[in-house]
Amino acid sequence: MERFSSLSPTSKDRSLSFVKHPSIRIDINYRELLLHEIRYELRKMSALLLESLRAWWPETILSFGALGVLLLGAWVRPAGPSKATSNGGLFAAETSTTSTRLFWIASGVILVASGVALWFSPTSPDSETFFGLIICDPLSRVLRWIALATTALVILMVVDSREVVSHRRGEYVGLLLLIGLGLMLMAEANHLLMAYVAMELVSLSSYVLVGFLDQRRSAEAALKYLFFGALSSAVMLFGMSLLFGLTGQLGFPDILQALMRPVAGSGALMMVAVTFLLAGLAFKISMVPFHMWTPDAYEGAPVPVAAFLSVGPKAAGLALLLRVMTALGPRWPDLEPLILSLTIVTMTLGNLVAIVQTNVKRLLAYSTIAQVGYLLIGFSVNSNLGLQAILVYLVAYMFMNLGVFACAVAVVNDSGNESLEAFRGLAQRSPVLAFLCTLFLLSLAGIPPLLGFFGKFLLFGAAVESGQIVLAIAGVVNSAVALYYYINLVRLMYLLDPQQARPLHLKLPLRLAVVLCGVGTLWLGLFPNELVALLRGSSFISLF
Amino acid sequence: MLSVLLLCPLIGMLVVLALPKTAVRAIRFVALLASGLALAFAIQLFQFFRPQEAIQLVERIVWIPQMRIFYHVGVDGLSLPLVFLTVLLGFIACLASASITERQKEYYALYLLLEMGMLGTFMALDFFLFYVFWEVVLVPMYFLIGIWGGGRREYSAFKFFVYTLAGSLAILLAILMLYFRTGTFDMVALAQMGPLLEPDLQRLLFVAFFLGFAIKVPVFPFHTWLPDAHVDAPTPISVLLAGVLLKMGGYGFFRIAYPICPEGAQWAAGAMAVLGMINIVYGAFVAMAQTDFKKLVAYSSVSHMGFVLLGLASLQTEGVNGALLQMFNHGTITGGMFLLVGVLYDRAHTRDLNAFGGLGAHMPKFSGLLIFFGLASLGLPGLSGFVGEFLSLLGAFGVWRWQTVVSVLGIVVAAAYILTAIQRVLLGPPNERWKNLPDVNPREMASLIPLVVLILALGVYPLLLIDLQDGAVQQFIAHVKGP
Repeated sequence: MERFSSLSPTSKDRSLSFVKHPSIRIDINYRELLLHEIRYELRKMSALLLESLRAWWPETILSFGALGVLLLGAWVRPAGPSKATSNGGLFAAETSTTSTRLFWIASGVILVASGVALWFSPTSPDSETFFGLIICDPLSRVLRWIALATTALVILMVVDSREVVSHRRGEYVGLLLLIGLGLMLMAEANHLLMAYVAMELVSLSSYVLVGFLDQRRSAEAALKYLFFGALSSAVMLFGMSLLFGLTGQLGFPDILQALMRPVAGSGALMMVAVTFLLAGLAFKISMVPFHMWTPDAYEGAPVPVAAFLSVGPKAAGLALLLRVMTALGPRWPDLEPLILSLTIVTMTLGNLVAIVQTNVKRLLAYSTIAQVGYLLIGFSVNSNLGLQAILVYLVAYMFMNLGVFACAVAVVNDSGNESLEAFRGLAQRSPVLAFLCTLFLLSLAGIPPLLGFFGKFLLFGAAVESGQIVLAIAGVVNSAVALYYYINLVRLMYLLDPQQARPLHLKLPLRLAVVLCGVGTLWLGLFPNELVALLRGSSFISLF
Repeated sequence: MLSVLLLCPLIGMLVVLALPKTAVRAIRFVALLASGLALAFAIQLFQFFRPQEAIQLVERIVWIPQMRIFYHVGVDGLSLPLVFLTVLLGFIACLASASITERQKEYYALYLLLEMGMLGTFMALDFFLFYVFWEVVLVPMYFLIGIWGGGRREYSAFKFFVYTLAGSLAILLAILMLYFRTGTFDMVALAQMGPLLEPDLQRLLFVAFFLGFAIKVPVFPFHTWLPDAHVDAPTPISVLLAGVLLKMGGYGFFRIAYPICPEGAQWAAGAMAVLGMINIVYGAFVAMAQTDFKKLVAYSSVSHMGFVLLGLASLQTEGVNGALLQMFNHGTITGGMFLLVGVLYDRAHTRDLNAFGGLGAHMPKFSGLLIFFGLASLGLPGLSGFVGEFLSLLGAFGVWRWQTVVSVLGIVVAAAYILTAIQRVLLGPPNERWKNLPDVNPREMASLIPLVVLILALGVYPLLLIDLQDGAVQQFIAHVKGP
């Protein structure tokens, strides 16, 4: 930190200046002076750290909580070896002992505490938190809420999931909480290194969680995900180092200032740096051509983990993308055609490939890619309305996509079958679940009066406003294409008879998750005014 | 007042959802009550309605202030007849829904949601609200065809959904383009601002609106969803599809495409007239080739909706009045035809025209009604079908001469296919297979009699309806033609 900032002529005077003069001959007066300076600096630093911590309670609680749950998991191992060996089938025997319940109570307490802390945490527009590593502006606050809510909803889904053997549940929940922490860090990173560390935290936890099923394909998926992820993060790191070499800066505001000045003869190299940097982010949000890992990883992962991966990293990655692009603002005209065409390709490819899927996780993976394409519309138009639209659509996407995954959790839990056929006749087995699932699917397809429609309305509106009619038309045509596979699921649920007439009952936590998502999708869709008012204040990025 | 009308089916739907699945009689009663109340309220509306005024009975509440979106409803002479048609057919089709024997709770809930969507479409004066209602109609319709339909119901329901959604997305784009040019979703204000836009933009917007509305009408070559959906839908839903849903497309032209983009409308008038002509003649000839009775009625709808386009393209008082009349009359006549085909199908379980013959001897009431509706459909003077077609042709003749002349051919062919169908079903040697078919029962009679009365009344005294709409029509023409 100190070395980097000392390289920059413009950086503010926050470097630890005493380290700079180690060779000065120290006489008594001088030593006094130096000690005084050290004391002063230390006091200043600790004041700054304390000040920063005040804004950082949610993350602190979450990180200690996550580590605590992990420790608890290692300590309390309820199931004997008999349980571990009995999992020849897809599911282990269900053991809901009091000790496993402990994890849910612990994680619930941690999340609620973190939420309360976030509620009271200040949003300071200045970027001095942790020496400028972290920014707590309104935008990051919204995305921290999204990260926390996503984590909470996914944990509700995990509680009664029968996919994972019970003696691993401590690690399971701990890692989920760690991803939540990583997402929050991604949302508020204001510095390339911070962004990198946060993304690695999310990625590493995700690799483990994808491989959590005791199945060959799960391990394969995790390995594939790991290779792709390692490659892309290496590429991103390379891009970062190039960018650092060119500008001498790592903090986003400093990079922006450095780029404002004309840099002679570095145009091509700068493009390489920026492209590499974007590649890493594109990997996280499954943007074409870095989407290949998505269907495989989702298919191998437990359903709740796939749900988490399809919402959390997408939201946080998009937030980071927004910040990085704001910092690279002067370079935007060079990149615009590339981003624009990739946006169109992303949604088209996602939608077209989703049509032929028969596994529900793969279907939702391609649907995720398509939805990311819609979100990128707001990013490509690079306008204030576009940013607002992204935020609204992210909230919508969180509710509807987690909702649809929660329905998938229920169905997969019940039937042990991941093919779309498992949804057959759901309307007769559980009318409420089928109704809510239809709501989520129609919202994803963009049918009013659901929240997904309102988000799309804003996104397409942003495209029209900035004169990118092609983008709007591409989005519209894709919406019609997407209807095909969303309505196919609805058809299976309502128009066909079930394979088994047994009614499907949901356990309380899962029911809570589905209903919460349903209320969010329908109620906010009918009355989005409050949400828009709330997000409108957050839709600017403060870099100065 | 109008909100009460919207709330009737909505509250009805919520009550139906709250009732247990097995309480079929209660569910049916609630649905009938809700649609009956809506009908009663709509009849009350005529008392408050002042034909010489423009938009009235307006309600305007802020909905999403950040985007200047309002809950904004109102009616005028263009929409009031269609609102009445909706609640009338809504009640009649609800009566006819007794033929639905499975999953009644879901059926009636979706049915009432559909009715609310249709009503809202005709009353909305805010573009956002309009679009919401427009789309709300699609979803229940998909399920109603897909679950309770016959034949290739899944395919037909899906085709209907995708076609209309594709069209409505074009409308969405046009709405957004208008919003970012003018800063409002208010349809009344947009009708004032629209004509001031550049002619090129107006033409572009007209094309986008045309795509959306033409698929709904349906205009050739976007009509292919119609025969599938109409044939495979259950009888009451066919009635609403033909009676009300097609009018949503026509109404879109009247309320949105023409007033907001008058330049585009005049630019496309020639094409509209030709498309109307193709609809009339093509629909009639294809109808003549059908052996499935329901398909015949479906294609006759394509033909009859052509008169709406032709009359609209003329932009003359007679033509536009005729087009509006034709929309209302087609709703009552074709609705009745579908009900009668349903009556026949419920008893014989076939709709093949060649399988029948000599039914006139066994089913006198049915025969009388079928002949009555058939004659109304082919445009016999004295029944309402004639008035709308005649006025449309009269208005168009001065402007689009040869198109009108060719269109008259459609009436001749209509006479041919309707009379042939009547002959095959009712006349000829009695078919022993159908000797024991019971005649029309009182419930079916009750659903058909109001339509008979309306058709007769409007055929003899069309001023009943023209008086209501003429003021709005004059304003409409003056507005579109400009100073």
